[in-house]
Amino acid sequence: MTAASADPDTAFRVADRLRARNLAGPWDVFGERIRKYEIHLSAGRIELVRGPVAVEGYGLRVLRPKDGGLSEGFQASTDLSAEGVGQATADAEANGRFSRVPAPSVELPSQAPSDPRVEISDPALWQDAPGALQRHVAELLRAVQGERGISVTFGSVKVMLTEMTLANSSGLSAGYTHTTVQSEIGILASGGDTGAAPGEYWVTDSGRRLETDALEENVRAWARYAQDTRRARQPPTGKIPVILPAEVLAGILPGALDFMCTGEGKLYEIAPAHDAVVGPDFLTVADDGRVPWAVGSTPFDDEGISRPRRHLLRNGKTDELACDLTYGSAIGQSSTGNGLRVTYFGPPSWNRFTHAPRPSFTTLSISGGAGGSDEELIESARDGIWVQQLGWASPNSATGTFGGEIRIGYRIRNGKLAEPVRGGTVGGLAMSASDEPSLFRNLVAVGGRPELRMGVQVPALLTQGLTVSGESSGSSTP
Amino acid sequence: MTDLRDHEDVLRSGLRKLEPHTRFAEVMSETNSGESVEADSKSNTATRPARMSGAAFRAWAGDRWVEGATSSFGAPAVKRAVDGLLDLLRASTAPGPPPGVSATTVGTHVESPARPMEDLDTEQILQRVAEIKGWASGVPRIKISRAGVRWNVNERQYLNTAGANCFQRVPRTHFVVVAVAGENGKTQVDADIAGAIGGQEVLDGVTEENVRAMAQSAVALLDAKAAPTGRMDVILDPGVAATFAHESFGHGTEGDQFVRKRSYLEPLLGQTVGPDFLTLVDDGSIAGAWGSVFFDDEGHPGARTVLIDHGRFVSGLYDRESAAAYNAQPTGNTRRASFLDRAFVRMTNTIVEPGDRSFEELVHEVKHGVVLERWTSGMEDPAGGQMQIKVGRGHRIENGQLTDLVGPMALSGRVLEFLRDVRGIGSRKDFEMTPGFCGKGHGDYLPVGDGGSYVLSQAVVGPT
Repeated sequence: MTAASADPDTAFRVADRLRARNLAGPWDVFGERIRKYEIHLSAGRIELVRGPVAVEGYGLRVLRPKDGGLSEGFQASTDLSAEGVGQATADAEANGRFSRVPAPSVELPSQAPSDPRVEISDPALWQDAPGALQRHVAELLRAVQGERGISVTFGSVKVMLTEMTLANSSGLSAGYTHTTVQSEIGILASGGDTGAAPGEYWVTDSGRRLETDALEENVRAWARYAQDTRRARQPPTGKIPVILPAEVLAGILPGALDFMCTGEGKLYEIAPAHDAVVGPDFLTVADDGRVPWAVGSTPFDDEGISRPRRHLLRNGKTDELACDLTYGSAIGQSSTGNGLRVTYFGPPSWNRFTHAPRPSFTTLSISGGAGGSDEELIESARDGIWVQQLGWASPNSATGTFGGEIRIGYRIRNGKLAEPVRGGTVGGLAMSASDEPSLFRNLVAVGGRPELRMGVQVPALLTQGLTVSGESSGSSTP
Repeated sequence: MTDLRDHEDVLRSGLRKLEPHTRFAEVMSETNSGESVEADSKSNTATRPARMSGAAFRAWAGDRWVEGATSSFGAPAVKRAVDGLLDLLRASTAPGPPPGVSATTVGTHVESPARPMEDLDTEQILQRVAEIKGWASGVPRIKISRAGVRWNVNERQYLNTAGANCFQRVPRTHFVVVAVAGENGKTQVDADIAGAIGGQEVLDGVTEENVRAMAQSAVALLDAKAAPTGRMDVILDPGVAATFAHESFGHGTEGDQFVRKRSYLEPLLGQTVGPDFLTLVDDGSIAGAWGSVFFDDEGHPGARTVLIDHGRFVSGLYDRESAAAYNAQPTGNTRRASFLDRAFVRMTNTIVEPGDRSFEELVHEVKHGVVLERWTSGMEDPAGGQMQIKVGRGHRIENGQLTDLVGPMALSGRVLEFLRDVRGIGSRKDFEMTPGFCGKGHGDYLPVGDGGSYVLSQAVVGPT
């Protein structure tokens, strides 16, 4: 049994020690007790079973006025003893003496919001995570064995059970439990009578549940992509219509829009002005922290603030900025419930207590548009590329650019998917207020069927603002 | 500060408890200390690494490894981790022996820089980064500049039931300065980094002249032309060549990818893959290099492994399991990102050995092409052998002459074709080592060093 403890209390125990020490406010403590279970695959067999990997820790933040701004001292620790909390407090105070953000003041919430419940915790995983994990992996291997000519080269499926608690000097004491699932699978296609080299489709995903029911269908699609890489050719070169589905947009949008649509970006004068035109009027992008089963969803943010759906772009124009308490104060607005304990770079951390809050997106959402089904979007493109997967989109928060190698995609000819393409690059600006071409500015159509993939819930987008660099056309300077 | 080895007894008791139930068990314990200080146009930040230490136990269960970890050295927490492992061991009925050879290394390495970062207080570091930031922000059209120093002392101890006992204390210092230029809604970025095992000396090479030149480069990019597109001659600058060595080639040499049949290079072991003037190595024993290790996380010493020897692909990088599968010896490349992460075959410092050509000679050889400068990222494809490297800028080459500055680009193509087409490698004079962080797939980031000089070949490029 791996049921949650009856009383998640990590932050509360630390807060009690801070109160016993008469630590002056404002301060807050974010605590986590995590158990992690993993199964790793190699060459179609189970190579390693891990778990529990057990971590209990907290991040302590002290906020002090400093030179007309605010010092934010932060320290994380796994030592919950009185001595350990004392050390963490001394560290946080010391760090704060050398930290300053131009935020006039921050008022910590005194109670957690009473928003409706959001589904982020799978009871089946709390009941028996190792068993559920083993059954899921067995199903995965069975589904792969059912497909001719494919195998699992490597893979890992990880389940995290987290009891989160938050306490602060204003009296807030709140918490919730959640589950997280991360998977990474390499599907190899080989053999056959064509003599083609083996080809791999490398799948990465994260969510809140083990989605065993969809495995067979997913494996069939992965097998097709892996097989298609074996006969794929380089794409053409030029500014041609490109369709990016949710899987690809998940690697582009959160990173490339980070400074374009947050209070931090505004403070550093990178975010465009309010009401700046960055795309066509049929483009609306929201940040939604309450999408059921999304990895970015939680009942409240990591500072205890409510997080309703916010429009970052509305009808092609910039609208609200995602803010935490500090950067909200720095730019003269309230927190939007986007204070998250995350890194600037790389995949989401599974232990958030080691990070101080910063403004970040929850789930970037684009509602279904008039572009219709995938087939209709392809028909609209007429002659272009469907990018199924990029190696790494390599988004740049400061410039709003991205670019990566096409791992697998499909040529679009006469409004139909044609031969597979692989290699070459696709990239450009994701969003800009300048008149340069960009993914958003040159958006042609928004597909009708949003899909939840990691940090986005978006439909496929058809754009003409990106550059494809491939083999077949001669060198040129656009 | 307590010594990590103070916890050896409780960890050994865990191993003793596991021993009757397994043919091999090991434990890696870890702790970190250090500081990170950043200053930019709007704010200052000082942080320290999480006070987080702990241990990972691994044992052989007859046909697989089983593992558990804890973030506390307290006896109850260690007992819970070991008991969890015992449950996994008891669930297995497979009788097989553990793969390969268990390390028996006993050793201690405490790296002691002449000028440790611990000797600087936070105020002094902040003054230094503020000064550096100021050099960049003094350049007209720079909107934001940011400088930061991060140092970390990592202690690791490895114990196993075969008698190994390895302790290492490794201080690493990393520096970065970034300049963001902006005008009329356009933004461009450039950066300089430095990093090594060591202390304050890592910062000695950071000069006002270099930082201002980097900031001026960011400004110049505002007016740069778009990068060319298509397949053409390319010259990789030393940092980009180093990224190629690691991302594009090195990942395919990881022995665990061989075992998984996930390396396009595995069938080519022993074959010629490049010109005879091309030699490529992974070397975890380079004194002071960012990616060096004194012992890996299976208890093997860090070592130099020649991967390509004068054009011939001669070896992979091996942990105990892949070494056994390929009749080789472990190469000291088994690494955990932390005690909370599993062990994999990982690179240390991966290097294209310098050749004998000057940069000018290489440029002169190109009729139409581009120099790729300032690597920003790379992505591996060990199964497919495709490469992807992104750079911040470059210069066009026309008729053997450097011409226009061009903006950010991505490079792609097939690694084996790129190696086949290598026509020249720059000399030691231009050789550089760069510090980076590498993931295995989409996680498990750890410090790695890459090195190289200029490399002339062919590839597909395009603007990003």
